[in-house]
Amino acid sequence: MHNGMHEYAFFLGCIAPNRYPGCEAAAIKTSRNVGIELLPLKGASCCPAPGAFGAVDLSVWYAMAARNIILAEEMGKDIALICNGCYKSIYEVNERLKEHDDLRDQVNEVLAEVDMEFKGTIDVYHLAELYYDPKICGVEKIRESVVRPLDGTKIAVHYGCHLLKPIKERRFTDAENPMWIEELVDALGAESVQYRNKMQCCGAGGGVRGFDLAHSLDITNEKLINVTEAGADAITEVCPFCQLQYDRGQIEIKEKFGIEWNIPVLHYNELLGLAQGMSPQELALDLHGIDCKPFLDKIL
Amino acid sequence: MAKGYNDPAMEKKFQDRYYHAADNPEFTKEVERIGRTMAHMCYQCGTCTGSCPSAPRSSYRIRKFVRRAVMGLEREALTDPDLWLCTTCYSCTDRCPRGIAPTDIIMAMRNLAFKWDIVPRNFLKTIQLIYTTGHGVPNNDVNRAARVKLGLDAEPETTHKYPEFLPGIQKIMDHYKMKENADRILSEGEH
Repeated sequence: MHNGMHEYAFFLGCIAPNRYPGCEAAAIKTSRNVGIELLPLKGASCCPAPGAFGAVDLSVWYAMAARNIILAEEMGKDIALICNGCYKSIYEVNERLKEHDDLRDQVNEVLAEVDMEFKGTIDVYHLAELYYDPKICGVEKIRESVVRPLDGTKIAVHYGCHLLKPIKERRFTDAENPMWIEELVDALGAESVQYRNKMQCCGAGGGVRGFDLAHSLDITNEKLINVTEAGADAITEVCPFCQLQYDRGQIEIKEKFGIEWNIPVLHYNELLGLAQGMSPQELALDLHGIDCKPFLDKIL
Repeated sequence: MAKGYNDPAMEKKFQDRYYHAADNPEFTKEVERIGRTMAHMCYQCGTCTGSCPSAPRSSYRIRKFVRRAVMGLEREALTDPDLWLCTTCYSCTDRCPRGIAPTDIIMAMRNLAFKWDIVPRNFLKTIQLIYTTGHGVPNNDVNRAARVKLGLDAEPETTHKYPEFLPGIQKIMDHYKMKENADRILSEGEH
């Protein structure tokens, strides 16, 4: 705590700062409104991508993720982040290295070459779980921060995989039908909707998006069918890679399969930003592949 | 579309390797060591395949890969292109009644495939990008302009703004000869 604010080292990852900078800008501003200060984590890299990078060599994945964690250890701050892929790499490697001596020794042997050592002194959180945690923020504080309620909108929540799974290695309790992000959405005045197979993957992970785009988009398309059936005006998620898959993916689905959905896709921080009165320009919503206007028309 | 890698250099390798060898008991141990999970506990119930988002749209069967791990069918497992259709969603891992992590079995097999030079190009390109920029998805000019409009710095507070951190990253990756191997495998496909 500093000046009444909970301070965290903000781990950015790749897709938020380099493709959807509105997510980064929104995270910094919206969290400040609820008592969370996100500090720059200087010199961080890709988490690195658990699927695309971990698939090639897990030993390097551990060492590279540990390097990012150590940067925060040196600041003496816990990490907060806004991407599920980053969460898997940074949270899971942090926990595993704390727990398993063999892994930690193996990683530290390599990191010694760059004068670094994993000590296991910090914790890693997804910003969404900090929003939900009443000790840090909580749903009520989110509700109180709203100046422009998202009344009359129906929103489908996509949790994404690596936030909750594997559940045995997470501090959450339910990965089959969680409802806590719905609570965070409802607190903005919107109505969260339930849809078939809510917990199914977006299709992007594991390097599949790069390896077989049509296969990956077919999974996304199934989700879009289910979301549309539930009458959602928009999808919200807490992972910029899921966002990319749903947002740019709809354009690719149109090109490849000739199916047009036009469902706006917003990161929860963008949604929260809108509810806290930020303009679409302040959120760079114009960078989205799918036009958010039909959704914005309902609330502005 | 016919099943395959659509990569002539990789297909050529399989002419020598595909389904030629018998089982290798060391393979089971290697998969279990890298994946940190007990593959041999599997009783083939199929809950994993039933939970898999890739199964309904391909010939990828996670249960089959777990069986290959247990039987030591190294070449059959590592040369099958379906190995790369796992989205790592971990639904199978959550639901496995034997407490196995089939997803991590796949990850271990992919690691072993890399040692055989079998790895799709997109994975190798990600490695090159991380090595040279620190990011798997690096910044670009359109995004830089958008960042500035948002009141953010054109470069994020990462290796992009502080490239002095790159040599450390490169040293870690060089320790495992990761970039060197990625470059070599990628260049094989280019001539």
